[in-house]
Amino acid sequence: MARIEKVKLPDIGEGIAEGEIVRWLVKKGDRVKQFQPLVEVLTDKANVEIPSPVSGRVVRFLASEGERVSVGSPIVEIELEGEAVEPEERAGSAEEVREGVSPELGEKVEVKKEERRVVVRAPPSVRKLARDLGIDLAKVKGTGPGGVITRDDVLRYAQAQQGAQAQATARAAEAEKIQVEAVEKPKAQTVKVEAAEQAVERIPLRGIRKIMAERMALAKSRIPHAYIVEEVDVTDLLSLRDHLAKYAEGKGIRLTILPFIVKAVVKALKEYPLLNSSLDEDRNEIVVKKYYNIGIAVDTEMGLVVPNIKNADRKGLFEIARDISMLASKARSGKLDLSDVRDGTFTITNIGSIGTVMGMPVINPPEVAILGVHRVVDKPVYIDGELKPRKVVNLSLSFDHRVIEGAYAARFLNLVKRYLEDPILLVVSDNELKV
Amino acid sequence: MNLISQALAKDLNLDKALGIFRVLDDQGVPDESLEPKLSKDFLLKIYEYMVRTRILDEWLLKLQRMGKVAIHAPNKGQEATMIGAALALREQDWMFPSYRELGALLVRGMSEEEIIDRAMANADDPLKGSDFAIYGSRDKKIVPAPVPVGNQIPHAVGFALAAKIMGDNIVVLTFFGDGATSRGDFHFGLNFAGLFKPPVVFVIQNNQWAISLPVRKQTAAPTLAVKGVAYGVPSIRVDGNDVLAVYSIAKEAVDKASSGEGPTLIESLTYRLGPHTTADDPRRYRSDEEVKRYEAKDPIPRFRRYLMYRGVLNEDLDREIWGRWRDYIETVVRRCLSKPELPEEVIFEDVYSEMPWNLREQLEEFRESLRVMKSLGLRVE
Ligand SMILES: Cc1ncc(C[n+]2csc(CCOP(=O)(O)OP(=O)(O)O)c2C)c(N)n1
Ligand SMILES: [Mg+2]
Repeated sequence: MARIEKVKLPDIGEGIAEGEIVRWLVKKGDRVKQFQPLVEVLTDKANVEIPSPVSGRVVRFLASEGERVSVGSPIVEIELEGEAVEPEERAGSAEEVREGVSPELGEKVEVKKEERRVVVRAPPSVRKLARDLGIDLAKVKGTGPGGVITRDDVLRYAQAQQGAQAQATARAAEAEKIQVEAVEKPKAQTVKVEAAEQAVERIPLRGIRKIMAERMALAKSRIPHAYIVEEVDVTDLLSLRDHLAKYAEGKGIRLTILPFIVKAVVKALKEYPLLNSSLDEDRNEIVVKKYYNIGIAVDTEMGLVVPNIKNADRKGLFEIARDISMLASKARSGKLDLSDVRDGTFTITNIGSIGTVMGMPVINPPEVAILGVHRVVDKPVYIDGELKPRKVVNLSLSFDHRVIEGAYAARFLNLVKRYLEDPILLVVSDNELKV
Repeated sequence: MNLISQALAKDLNLDKALGIFRVLDDQGVPDESLEPKLSKDFLLKIYEYMVRTRILDEWLLKLQRMGKVAIHAPNKGQEATMIGAALALREQDWMFPSYRELGALLVRGMSEEEIIDRAMANADDPLKGSDFAIYGSRDKKIVPAPVPVGNQIPHAVGFALAAKIMGDNIVVLTFFGDGATSRGDFHFGLNFAGLFKPPVVFVIQNNQWAISLPVRKQTAAPTLAVKGVAYGVPSIRVDGNDVLAVYSIAKEAVDKASSGEGPTLIESLTYRLGPHTTADDPRRYRSDEEVKRYEAKDPIPRFRRYLMYRGVLNEDLDREIWGRWRDYIETVVRRCLSKPELPEEVIFEDVYSEMPWNLREQLEEFRESLRVMKSLGLRVE
């Protein structure tokens, strides 16, 4: 019987999860002996030669040079010594070839030799630095031993880039100035430019502001955001709010529509749990949370903070209202505890309280979605063929497209809309509306 | 051997700690006034230990790259020191090695097969996978090396002191790296040794690197041997790639210790030609030229040239020796590869003489999750 051994990337120790195929040391069709060097692999720790675990003939490469493969995944097929391949079996294994890998890779490697991708040699800390600075290491020349790219190489490259950019900006500004000078009186213009330069204030990025900056940069650079918007008629909700407000007042609670939105969102999350999750990138797993800590974005003088209402699914309307005003005042007086801002699962930002009609909020990592609530406006709406004055609010949902598809998000937002347009449904138990 | 005795006299001799003692020059030509008188068989035995160590070391590296061994600390280039020093020990003596002394393990009588079984943690591993490339054996009087660098130094001193108090005729020899001399344990150990004069021999494998840190960035002392002088321990620096120099000095030190004359520190100047461990890439911190320079000082060709110079070895015999050990060790490797793996459950064993209920419960859960993982075709790590 013919037997083909799929050689896997071995576990090469000390927490190595993957490696990059640097160079195949054998060609398709080659006979290899057991323990003969097969391939050069670059891991986080070292450049290593992997010996062949078997003797036989190289049938097909399953990973190409430059490709990153994880430990345990097949990289090459070797037909075991003295065992010819039968056609059917060949066809069978061909189907298993991973997407994007050409079955003729063996030949291609030959052709490609000339234009082979530069193999970047750099320690992990330098790779991270380059990633943080948005620098492609393939463009950086390494001056370390064996061409390894050092920290200094990256910094030098970054500075050179910055210099080039600054020069370009300076040239552009120069050109503009010349144009302006051509039209206006030269002297006055020069003075103006100087004055403008002096009229800046430098605000140090510290504390909450710095955290905000870092988290937002992370969110926007890491998470592929997608957005949807829904228009919600909240006329009935507002009269319900007015009705309940009397009771709330007696308890010293100011009732807005936000607690209703929290309730509607939690109910909808129970039906669409992926929106109440986070993505564990290290393990490639979606972590769906069975608790509902709803973050409320609060604008403070020190910057944006997002404390969350713990276990919002187990709280009544008034309790949620009280939590919101308590968290907001704690936030504004800088008295939030770490526990107030930790472990959020979904965020609502009520930007409408300031007065926008539309906007796309940025996701609050590690969450996967955020709901923007905008200003309630008076609008004419056709109801049963008749134009009626109605109170309408836009809800915008930003979501992590790695975890959630558009249709899923749209169904979720429709359900939120349904609860808000027909708020009596909020008394119906979770999932009872599900068909 | 006047020079050697002088070096190891009870009086401290700073010159010996600052100089370098060697018998063979780089070409393997001996200084006849220092050349030890050793039998032809013994000389060949030394050579075979060096050959075996080199081949075994290459195999362990290869097996690690195949995912069969978790980690290995390559020995290449340091064979003369470990073998020369270990050969100086008598059967009743004890050894406290570091993790880079394969040759010394062979000298003490450990077999290639046992070393590979342990490295692979297969079903024949006597410690069932709980040793980390670090081998101990009560039989062979080898104490397993601790993972924290240099911890074996005070252990060795204490052991030797105990032997002295008990009146046992035992010498203790401990190996450690240059890096270990930058740690407190070295200083505690040396201070005690200088004071109480136990029968201990310290061998510094100065391979010039502690992972990526060169010796010149570890200490301002001119040599590592002078540190011993400061503690009142007679200390000498030897050419660690000259197996005859290492053997001669270590032998004197062992003899001296066994006759009640106390400790000796030997700084053995060598070079690690390979990576620190299989998880290290030395090209990130040292130049290829430096390695090339030391490859030319490889202790094995150097000793081979000496043996040929003395007519103990010829090309044919050399080829026979390498061929015989290559074949033998490859057979051993194949045998070790064909042995069954350790069952995963062994991680629960040997903690308590009788497994307590909580471990039994965990074991059951573990078995269940293994079963599930295997049924899903998942890799069990
Ligand atoms: C106390 C301690 N610190 C750090 C380490 C990590 N470590 C392992 S080996 C090593 C280098 C030791 O160098 P050296 O003593 O010269 O021995 P060599 O590896 O060169 O044989 C280090 C820093 C350790 N094992 N223990
Ligand atoms: Mg060292």
